[in-house]
Amino acid sequence: MATNLQIQDRVQAKKEVRRIKNLPTVPGIVAKISRMVENPETSAAEVGRLIAQDQVLSAKVLRMANSAFFGMSRKISSISQALVILGFEVVKGLVLTSSVFDMIQKSMAGLWEHSIGCAAASGAVATLLGRDDAEEILVAGLLHDLGKVVLALNLPEEMRLVQQRVNSGPILFYEAENQLLDFDHSELGQWLAEHWNLPESLAEPMRLHHRPEKAVLKPECTAIVHIADIIVRAKGFGNAGDLLVPPVSNAAWEMLGLRKTDFLPILEMLEPKLASLCDLTSIS
Amino acid sequence: MPKRIPIDKALPGQILAEKLTRHDGVLLASQGSEISEGLLRMLARMNIDSVVVEEQESRTAEQVEADFNLFTEQLELRFIRIEPQSVLQALKKTMLYLAEKERDETLALINNPAPDETTEHISQDGAEESEQKADGDQPANSR
Repeated sequence: MATNLQIQDRVQAKKEVRRIKNLPTVPGIVAKISRMVENPETSAAEVGRLIAQDQVLSAKVLRMANSAFFGMSRKISSISQALVILGFEVVKGLVLTSSVFDMIQKSMAGLWEHSIGCAAASGAVATLLGRDDAEEILVAGLLHDLGKVVLALNLPEEMRLVQQRVNSGPILFYEAENQLLDFDHSELGQWLAEHWNLPESLAEPMRLHHRPEKAVLKPECTAIVHIADIIVRAKGFGNAGDLLVPPVSNAAWEMLGLRKTDFLPILEMLEPKLASLCDLTSIS
Repeated sequence: MPKRIPIDKALPGQILAEKLTRHDGVLLASQGSEISEGLLRMLARMNIDSVVVEEQESRTAEQVEADFNLFTEQLELRFIRIEPQSVLQALKKTMLYLAEKERDETLALINNPAPDETTEHISQDGAEESEQKADGDQPANSR
């Protein structure tokens, strides 16, 4: 249940973002896939054919499917094969990511690297915890900061002020956003997720990766993305807007049952992945 | 440290850090093997665009130390806001431990370059030792 305060926050955020004139539109192909998947008669082959029609997009999706993210022992050579091996939700997430890749690249230098780093760290934490939905959680990590993309592309003046505040002292990006704008990128992310009709497994981490203890629908996925964000910032991989490690939610940490000794295997798993993922920095 | 490089940057003599397979999964070269000119020609024919190689050390011992010092300074700055949180202290300590380990391994390689086969042997032993050390070095479980 959302508290009154949360609802007020959201109303406030929506009031602010209504000023955005050109909302990013949901990538057409993502909307089409969502509609197709809702129909129980749709087969994987049909979805595969739809994605494969766009050769540039399918090449990007296959490049990510074959990257160090998933550590496949055999090369995935077609979209239909990716659908069978990685599943509908993951491929849909990769299509979405490929569709917004240019937007992310344009928004803020280093944000794409932060996103792939957070994705790899989400995958590493989820794998360590033995989650069988590790790939889906990885995609949530990939898209968790889409709200920053909206801020950068649709509210450039506000973005400039936030960056100015961040540069002036040790302050986190979301703290600067809240001080100056009364909302932050997580609310912009939530608003975008609603507008685009994204599944909760993506929407809740976008909305609550800085307050994971508030998650109700996908609490573990949100908590994992929260921890992954911290790890990748600690590594200094990419740019999330500020250079600081944000505070950890002890509630989220305890809910996942993580131990402090788990950082070693997570970081050891992550290091070679980050090195290999450098070639995803220009997937266009 | 393994690194993915585009095929046009790969050189004969570099060591593969991951096995290399054809698009249909057939093994072309195993992990740890040396890249030959023949292999490079074959990869070009097969449209394989990148390989993962062991990065070769080109820094001097002084540069390695300087890089490590820069890393620790930056690490301190990143963690400047959250000193009291024990979970994050553990993360910082683990990162420092891994950076020290990498520095020491690199310095050992620079000071005592070994032929390829021996290098592999030493690094495997080193990994085992440091894992044991890690258990002792790590903070006690939080729960």
